[in-house]
Amino acid sequence: MKKMIGFIIGLTAILTVAFFTSSNEIETMKKAKPMVGILQLTSHPALDLIYQGTVDALNDAGYIDGETMTLDFQNAQGDQSNLNSMSTRFVSRGAAVMVGIATPSAQALANSSQEIPIVLGAVTDPEGSGLVESNEAPGGNITGVSDLTPIKEQFSLIKEILPEAQTIGILYSSSEDNSIVQADQAIEIAKEMGLDIEVMTISSTNDVSQVGATLASQVDAIWVPTDNTVASAMTTLVSAADSNGIPIFPAVDTMVEEGGLATVGLDQYELGRLTGEMVAAILNGESDPATTPIRYLDEGEIIINQEKAKQLGITIPTQLLEQAKQAE
Amino acid sequence: MDLIVTATAQGLLWGMMALGIFITYRILDLPDMTAEGSFPLGAAVCAQLIISGVHPLTATAIAFVIGALAGAVTGFLITKAHIPGLLAGILTMTGLYSINLRVMSRANLSLLGEAKLTDFFTRFNLPSQFDTIFMGIVLVSSLIVLLVLFFKTELGQAVIATGDNEKMARSLGISTNQTKILGLMLSNGLISAAGALIAQDNGYADISMGIGTIVIGLASVIIGEVIFGNLSFVNRLICVILGAIIYRLIIMFVLLMGLQPNDLKLISAVILAVFLALPSIRTRFNLNFFQKKELL
Repeated sequence: MKKMIGFIIGLTAILTVAFFTSSNEIETMKKAKPMVGILQLTSHPALDLIYQGTVDALNDAGYIDGETMTLDFQNAQGDQSNLNSMSTRFVSRGAAVMVGIATPSAQALANSSQEIPIVLGAVTDPEGSGLVESNEAPGGNITGVSDLTPIKEQFSLIKEILPEAQTIGILYSSSEDNSIVQADQAIEIAKEMGLDIEVMTISSTNDVSQVGATLASQVDAIWVPTDNTVASAMTTLVSAADSNGIPIFPAVDTMVEEGGLATVGLDQYELGRLTGEMVAAILNGESDPATTPIRYLDEGEIIINQEKAKQLGITIPTQLLEQAKQAE
Repeated sequence: MDLIVTATAQGLLWGMMALGIFITYRILDLPDMTAEGSFPLGAAVCAQLIISGVHPLTATAIAFVIGALAGAVTGFLITKAHIPGLLAGILTMTGLYSINLRVMSRANLSLLGEAKLTDFFTRFNLPSQFDTIFMGIVLVSSLIVLLVLFFKTELGQAVIATGDNEKMARSLGISTNQTKILGLMLSNGLISAAGALIAQDNGYADISMGIGTIVIGLASVIIGEVIFGNLSFVNRLICVILGAIIYRLIIMFVLLMGLQPNDLKLISAVILAVFLALPSIRTRFNLNFFQKKELL
């Protein structure tokens, strides 16, 4: 009882002091070395590469951790209750720019500050997520890079490699907004191309094996959007599809390396570099988020996993092989 | 200083969730997994309503009612279908995933720029986070008063008796099935309303936001008990809230120490394990630097 009252009195005292002193603390905390806070939702190859690209681009622009800037990297490991604390950490440490990798982390940052510039690391549809007023003129303190993939080119690639394919399966996780946006677009595109579509969703990585196998038994090829959950369980999906001899065309290059057949992919590392460049421009005072449009990677590159092609007995047209990058 | 303020603000909101967990875990003696579904349910319902123009207060209240219904489903599965408590909660939680997707009609609903419950306090031009703190204090103290009043009524006492000793309660003519369902409804209503508040505070509702919430709730209950010891009923409820604040402070401290972010989950688990083990370590070695305590 005594301890409890003591704690409450102590906390109230601290809060009272904070109440009367905290008004403009952020302004006074601006330092000689600008701080960049990077908030990542979870760890998987694609997001990790974006992070890596961001840091490398910052280094190339002369911003080096510990020398010309302070880098604060936080990863919520999928636990969204931590995103808020981590965002406040950045704000209270006087971050000059904050970077949100994946939509929920970007939203948490957006909610923690309306002043500090925020750069989106990989958000498929910033406008649809309510982060910016419009993708062309964001209007607020947020701008960044979209990872919207060239879905149309990906479906043309499927046609080119597998002219016989008629039914394409789409597998994505129902817990991700970005995937739903892409799947809807893919269905439209497939309709235009006269393909049949079979859509299945998973709710966690545990569903991948079974749902993947069921889907693989019903289709000629599987297309997967940029999806954090599927990306985390790509190898599981690959083995489920392999046992049915079905190729996977993922939207992301890292997923081809993990056993997908081919894609016209966005280089995740390049997405990260683009993010880093935008951060550097803001740090240099060269750009203002409100008037900087959301950027996209200009063109995807064809990436083919030849080992997988051999394994599945699929011959890749030679002219395609010449312009493609090989996956390791 | 700022971080303590944030931790307090967050702790007050999560404290409401912890009160819900306290009702099932401590009073009813029933580990209820429904929480991980009813938490995002409240967020989803509230976000969808706010976006369609409903007042945030009404939206939060409706989230409470809908959450209570989810609790009723678990209660029904336990009492009428005789499904073990843990499993019944997991079933409801699993089912709620699809329902939450239906409610939001997508996986993530943004509340940026929408009306929020804290807007009421914003007009006073308070320093950052203090709108949440004042709202939290008002909500949490009125909740504690309401809960204390409720648990003093005959019905409330019947709920407590059911948790203490179900057989005896039944022999006293208490319909334990009804009291269990009632307790679960109250608990999940609170958890769902907490989800609604946290969605407003975070600026979005997300289908995955329930993951790990039960650990946060349990940690708050246990940290409060271990640090503050054996107390009267009112004070125990206050301790749950303080426990939630302390949990947030610990997480904040861990983040500040600049540990590898990848280790965060392990660290939270270790913290919880230490607090869970403290009472038995104390008895074992007869340490009394903490007050002696007895759990319900």
